[in-house]
Amino acid sequence: MSTIVTQQVPSTANAVAAQPAAAPAAQPTIIASRQSCDADGVGLSHYILMDRKPSA
Amino acid sequence: MSAPTPASPGRYANSGGGPTLLPFDIGHSDYLALTDPATAFWALVKKERLAETLAGGPLLDAYRARVVEFARELHGLRFELKPSAVYVNPTERCNLDCTYCYIPRDMRRDGAHMATDKLLDALGRLKAYFATVMPAGRRPRIIFHGAEPLMNRAALFAAIDAYGDDYVFGVQTNATLLDDAALAFLTDRRVSIGLSLDGPLAEITDATRLTFGGKSVHAKVLDAMERLRGYESWSVIATCTAKNLDQLVPLVELFHAREVPTCMLNAVRCTLPGARTVKPADGALATHFIAAVERSHELFRASGRKLVVANFANILLAILAPTARRLMCDISPCGGGRAFFALAPDGGLFPCSEFIGLPAFDGGNLFRDEIADILKSPAFAKVTGRDVDKFAPCSTCAIRHFCGSPCPAEAHEMNGSMEKIGAFCGFYEEQVRYALRLIADGQAADFLWDGWDVGVETSFAVTLQ
Repeated sequence: MSTIVTQQVPSTANAVAAQPAAAPAAQPTIIASRQSCDADGVGLSHYILMDRKPSA
Repeated sequence: MSAPTPASPGRYANSGGGPTLLPFDIGHSDYLALTDPATAFWALVKKERLAETLAGGPLLDAYRARVVEFARELHGLRFELKPSAVYVNPTERCNLDCTYCYIPRDMRRDGAHMATDKLLDALGRLKAYFATVMPAGRRPRIIFHGAEPLMNRAALFAAIDAYGDDYVFGVQTNATLLDDAALAFLTDRRVSIGLSLDGPLAEITDATRLTFGGKSVHAKVLDAMERLRGYESWSVIATCTAKNLDQLVPLVELFHAREVPTCMLNAVRCTLPGARTVKPADGALATHFIAAVERSHELFRASGRKLVVANFANILLAILAPTARRLMCDISPCGGGRAFFALAPDGGLFPCSEFIGLPAFDGGNLFRDEIADILKSPAFAKVTGRDVDKFAPCSTCAIRHFCGSPCPAEAHEMNGSMEKIGAFCGFYEEQVRYALRLIADGQAADFLWDGWDVGVETSFAVTLQ
C-alpha cells in the first residue's frame, strides 16, 4: 500500500459501444473520492426538473 | 479563565482529536466502507486492509488535512441555502382519487381554484422575494404541483406566459388533461413536464390511481408519453407501493422503450393514513427497487441510451459529490422550507407540498405576510430544525448524511415526532450500500445524468494500489 494515485471519479460512460474491451485492472486497496461544486440550492423534492439535456 | 484544554493532536482514528472513520459492511465481496458521518466523507477499503488503514497511513493523512474543509462544505449545504424554488398548487382539486395522496380527499374533490389574478399576483410577489436572495442571472424554479394543476389550466397558462422570462417552469400532472393543445403550449415554452404512472399494465396502475368515479387513466398516460417522445424535458414518477413492487422491473422496461429520459421510483410517502395502507416493507421495497435500477442499467448497456432513475442517482451524488445533489429530501434538514417551499391556492405557505394537508405547518400567507418572516415561523422551524445529528438512531448512523431520514412529514404524522425516523430507514440503508458497491465496481457514472459533473471539481481523490 505505497502508491497514491489521484484520479477523477469515472466520467460519464455514454458511448458504451465505443469502449474497447480492456484487460481487468488490479483492484485498488483503497478508493476514496469527493467532488465539490457550488451548492446552488436548486434541489427539489418529489419532482425532477429536467432543465439539463438528457442523455443521447 | 484559562484557555480550554486542546484535544489530542489527532494522531489516531476514532479517538481524541483524530478523524472519525466508522467501518460498515456494504455487501461487497472485497470492500468495506469507512465513513466520517459528520462530513459525509467515505472510503472503500479492501477487507483485509481495514486494520492497517485505521492504524494510519496515506488515507488518514490526506483526510486529516481536509476534514475541516469538508465539514464546512456540508454545513453550508445543510444550513446556509436560500430558497430558489416554489411548489405552486394553483388548485386544490384533482380528478383522481389516488390511494396515497398527501392532499386530503375532500380538498381534492371539492376544493377551490386560485383565481388567475391571484396567481399572477403570487408570482409577482415571489419574483420580488427571489430578487433579494438569488444571484443575478439565475432564475428561480416554479413547479406547478397538486392536486392536478391542469384543472386550473387557464390560470396556469396565463402565469407561464406572463412570467416566462422570470422563472424556469415545471408541471407535475397526472396527464389526463394533457391534450394536444396543452402539450403544445407547454413544450413550445420549454416547460418541464412530469407525468405519473405506477404500473406497466392498467390493472397495476388502477390499483392506486383511479378517478373519483373509478375509471382507469392508464391509457391516457401512455398516450401522453407517446406524444412526449423526443421532447427533452420530461419525466415520469412511479410511486412504489405494496401494489406494484413486483412490477417495477417491467415498468422500467416500459419507460425505457418509450424513451423516457428520467424517471423517479419514489417510495410512497406515508404522511396520511391512506398511504400507509399500501406501504411496502423495507426489505421487499429494496429488493424490487434495486432490481429495477439494475434493469435500467442492463438496458443502457444494451442500447447506449440511459433511463436515469433520478432518486437513486441522487443517492449516488450524495456520496460522490454532496453539493451536486439535485433533490433535497435525502439530506437533513431536508430542503423543505429552506431550499424550496410550497404555495397553497389560498396563499398559504408550507415548507413542502407534503404538508399542505396539515394546518399546523401553515407558516403564513403570501398575500398578507412577508416571505422572510414566514420562513422563520414556528411552522417552518419545525421542519428546518429537524436534524439527524440530534436524535436516535440517526445520530450514530454512519450514513446519516447520505440519507437524511426522509421525510419529516412522515416522521411527524406516522411516527409521532420530528425526532423520529421517516418511513423507510431500512430501504435507505440498502440503497446506500448498493450505491457504494457500484462505486467500488467503477459503475457509478452509468447511473447518473450525462453532464452531471459539469462545473464539479475533484476535491479529494486517493486510490491506493
